[in-house]
Amino acid sequence: MKKKKLNITRAAVGALAILCFLCLWFWATREGTPLGRLMPNPAQVFLRLVETTHTKVGPLTIWGHMLNSLRRVLVGFCIASGSGILLGLAMGWNRTIEALLRPIFELLRPIPPLAWISLAIVWFGLGEGGKYFIIFVSGFSNVTINVYTGAKAVDPELIGAAKMLGCSDRRIFTSIVIPSSVPYIFTGLQIAISSSWAAVVAAEMVRSTNGIGWMITAGQGIGDMEQIMVGIIVIGVVGFLLSTFMRGVESKLCAWSRVQDS
Amino acid sequence: MANEYKVQVNHLTKRFGDLLVLDDISFNVKENEFLCIVGPTGCGKTTFLNSLSKLYDITAGEILINGEPVDLKRHNIAYIFQEYSNMPWLTIRQNVEFGLRIKKLPEAEIRERSDYFLDMVGLTKFQDYYPRQLSASMLQRAAIARAFAVKPEVLLMDEPYGQLDIELRFKLEDELIRLWREVGTTVIFITHNIEEAVYLSGRILVLTNKPTKIKAEIPNDLPRPRDIADPNFVALRNQVTELIKWW
Repeated sequence: MKKKKLNITRAAVGALAILCFLCLWFWATREGTPLGRLMPNPAQVFLRLVETTHTKVGPLTIWGHMLNSLRRVLVGFCIASGSGILLGLAMGWNRTIEALLRPIFELLRPIPPLAWISLAIVWFGLGEGGKYFIIFVSGFSNVTINVYTGAKAVDPELIGAAKMLGCSDRRIFTSIVIPSSVPYIFTGLQIAISSSWAAVVAAEMVRSTNGIGWMITAGQGIGDMEQIMVGIIVIGVVGFLLSTFMRGVESKLCAWSRVQDS
Repeated sequence: MANEYKVQVNHLTKRFGDLLVLDDISFNVKENEFLCIVGPTGCGKTTFLNSLSKLYDITAGEILINGEPVDLKRHNIAYIFQEYSNMPWLTIRQNVEFGLRIKKLPEAEIRERSDYFLDMVGLTKFQDYYPRQLSASMLQRAAIARAFAVKPEVLLMDEPYGQLDIELRFKLEDELIRLWREVGTTVIFITHNIEEAVYLSGRILVLTNKPTKIKAEIPNDLPRPRDIADPNFVALRNQVTELIKWW
């Protein structure tokens, strides 16, 4: 009961903050200001957003662009998650694999996704492959490092207890290491989905003809500020929805790590 | 040598690098005996138990159960740690059932035993809670239920009540004695609390400071239930205290 009230208050405060931000935006772009000449105000952007839901921007409406971007992000993200979870668990569990792969991983980790663009084109061409790769790169290390931390952080007492009960190594891995890493896996996925989605602009800079990222790059090309703003807002909103969805899945699957008192 | 002893420890030695922790320790434990091991803090009691349970590799010597080298997959051993080693992602019931599933018991048997032991430690009402939702003493009881549920031949306990307040400790000590008598298992119980050792044990092993050796072996035939104010109890407690004197 109390919690519900708290949630409503929180939502109200959030809405108020957004409203303040919009007011500030209106005020800053009012007629006659230097910024006002360069940037549309929120109402113009909103009208343009509504318009793009039924009028095509380039080849597609905003929905089409969004779906194309989402597809790219999901493909890249799924490959990044799958391989990141596998590599993280393997490095956390097996010392040989850790000694072998950790240095390479640590070297590749700080390289920003943008830096890979040229290589992505060389390796995967100008088609979808290069875009998947950019998105993969932006999610992979986040997943790997979190899962690796999780697999390393397993309570040795739990492993001891399982060993004493006669658990085989394989069983310890499946019954102890994996479940206790789940919260870390989700932290990794959470960060990765956000950064993958954020990388969509970079990925779609690799010669594309559709997608939200393309909308922004194309808007830049023709100096259409409204189109750029629409793209930015859609990226923000979809990114927010994606991470909210991930949080929802996490709180379902990791109820045990959240329950404090009943 | 026939298997007149449940556990035989012969010349157990453990080194960590240059540090000699356990120095040539030998003793035997009879079937269904309740053996308490006491010694000064930091004397290597946990190392001792971890070596015994094969969590550590031993440097020299051997440990036999029923006359054979310890094999955790074959011998039914349970271990209760200082910390409450419940799996946080499993409910209390699933934790109690964990060992039974490892040992691949039939589902009906798993159900029956976990019902029984949850009831024994008074956690039936809390069986569907996660460990985070329960108090320290409840968690330790869950760990005890899990250990007893596999009906271990040998039960190793490492200061299981060290972090509980005195009232709970008394309660759980009585519970432990009751379970031990009912289930019938060989218990090796490590503690630095002399009163606890005198209260629980059938025999007390006193260890020295590092490198650890056995200083004395004291049989404890005080009648049960024991009274900590009984003169014989006090006399035995003083005798053990005299042997340790870590202050």
